[in-house]
Amino acid sequence: MIKVKNLSKKFADNIVLNGIDFQVSQGEIVVIIGPSGTGKSTLLRCLNFLETPSSGIIEIAGVKVDSATATATQITNLRKKSSFVFQNYSLFANKTALQNVAESLITVWKEPKSAALKHAETILQQVGLSEKIHQYPSQLSGGQQQRVGIARAMASKGEVILFDEPTSSLDPEWVDEVLAVMKQLALQKQTMIIVTHEMQFAREVANRVIFMEGGNIVEQGTPQQIFENPQHQRTKKFVARATKQSISALDSAML
Amino acid sequence: MQMPLDVQYIIELLPILLKYLSVTMEMALLGFCFAIILAVILAVVRVFKLPLLHHLASLFISFFRGTPLLVQLFLLYYGLPQIMPILAGVDAFSAAIIGLSLHFSAYMAESIRAAILGVDKSQMEACLSIGMTRLQAMRRIILPQAARVATPSLMNYFIDMIKSTSLAFTLGVAEIMAKAQMEASSSFKYFESFLAVALIYWAVIELFSRLQHYLEIRMNRAY
Repeated sequence: MIKVKNLSKKFADNIVLNGIDFQVSQGEIVVIIGPSGTGKSTLLRCLNFLETPSSGIIEIAGVKVDSATATATQITNLRKKSSFVFQNYSLFANKTALQNVAESLITVWKEPKSAALKHAETILQQVGLSEKIHQYPSQLSGGQQQRVGIARAMASKGEVILFDEPTSSLDPEWVDEVLAVMKQLALQKQTMIIVTHEMQFAREVANRVIFMEGGNIVEQGTPQQIFENPQHQRTKKFVARATKQSISALDSAML
Repeated sequence: MQMPLDVQYIIELLPILLKYLSVTMEMALLGFCFAIILAVILAVVRVFKLPLLHHLASLFISFFRGTPLLVQLFLLYYGLPQIMPILAGVDAFSAAIIGLSLHFSAYMAESIRAAILGVDKSQMEACLSIGMTRLQAMRRIILPQAARVATPSLMNYFIDMIKSTSLAFTLGVAEIMAKAQMEASSSFKYFESFLAVALIYWAVIELFSRLQHYLEIRMNRAY
């Protein structure tokens, strides 16, 4: 359903993405891991044209955009096929939780306001926030804000939801409730591409894990393949370190 | 000859002047409405850096901030009709409103532009990510947030505009300043007349300052 061909991104002379090719099929859950600064977030942002790729072709659910010839209309059409969950939530500060979720339905999909609000309420229920629908973002905890962020992405009728480190700015106490919502989406076979440092989550939920380093896809495979039997030296090193970290974090939590 | 302050005269003059307050307020309110529309357009054109228009907007702002309001009013009302006879039919009242709105829109555009740029970039990204166009994002999310930031300075411009309507008397508009001037020259009580008109301006502006305070509290509810 998603096809990316030869996607590159340069910032000045700095090559962040070096001709990435990959595909994602309907219902697949792809987790991208890798050291910081290797272009994981940039890749995700390029899929949504929040960064304009330097070159490459992106196709999502039948909308194909070549970055060399992309027009504003094409880009908007492509964005309608996906939605984005941001690391820092980025909820609309002037809107309540309900209005945040209903916004795309009203403005982009032209649903009548009352239907849109009703629809939005159902989605907020699914992420466990029916008590908070009239609160403004500033009145919600980090975990609640991120759940609204996910609800907003769910509402926007994209075929795929892109998660950019959705738990990285959360206090540890809020991480689990956000991951729980994402697991629930996984059970519903929602297509997702997730950039995260939550290795345990990747192991449990992903159909496929992509390891990126230095703007390239180094290795990809099932969670078992990547975490238990990595082929490349760099993957081995990263996985060993990342797993050790989470074990030592567990240790210190138990002390 | 030393004359004591004629309080009685001021008290009698106030209701006479107040009759002309509606002209003053009409100019200020209409001028402000046009100014704000124009200012938002100018600000958005500059923020989006629309080709050509963006440079025209900068030139417009530079001119209207760089020349005195009185000069602009004179140019518009006494000057322009000489080279564009079609404008000869524009009456002083309308000319004053046009002049005030052009002048203040230049200042207000800069406040609004700063307020738009002050809205976190992530808000625009969130809009785009759910499939909104940049214009939809402006209208639904960015401008409402910028409005909150810009309100105090826009209210200050409104207050300034109320006071600046007094310049319209130089075009012959019968507003409160013109009336005070007329009363003064017929009674020779200059101090009382101008004091009376000053008191009216002061009271009106005090009222709008209160309103400004109330508006700010209301707009901050979400934060």
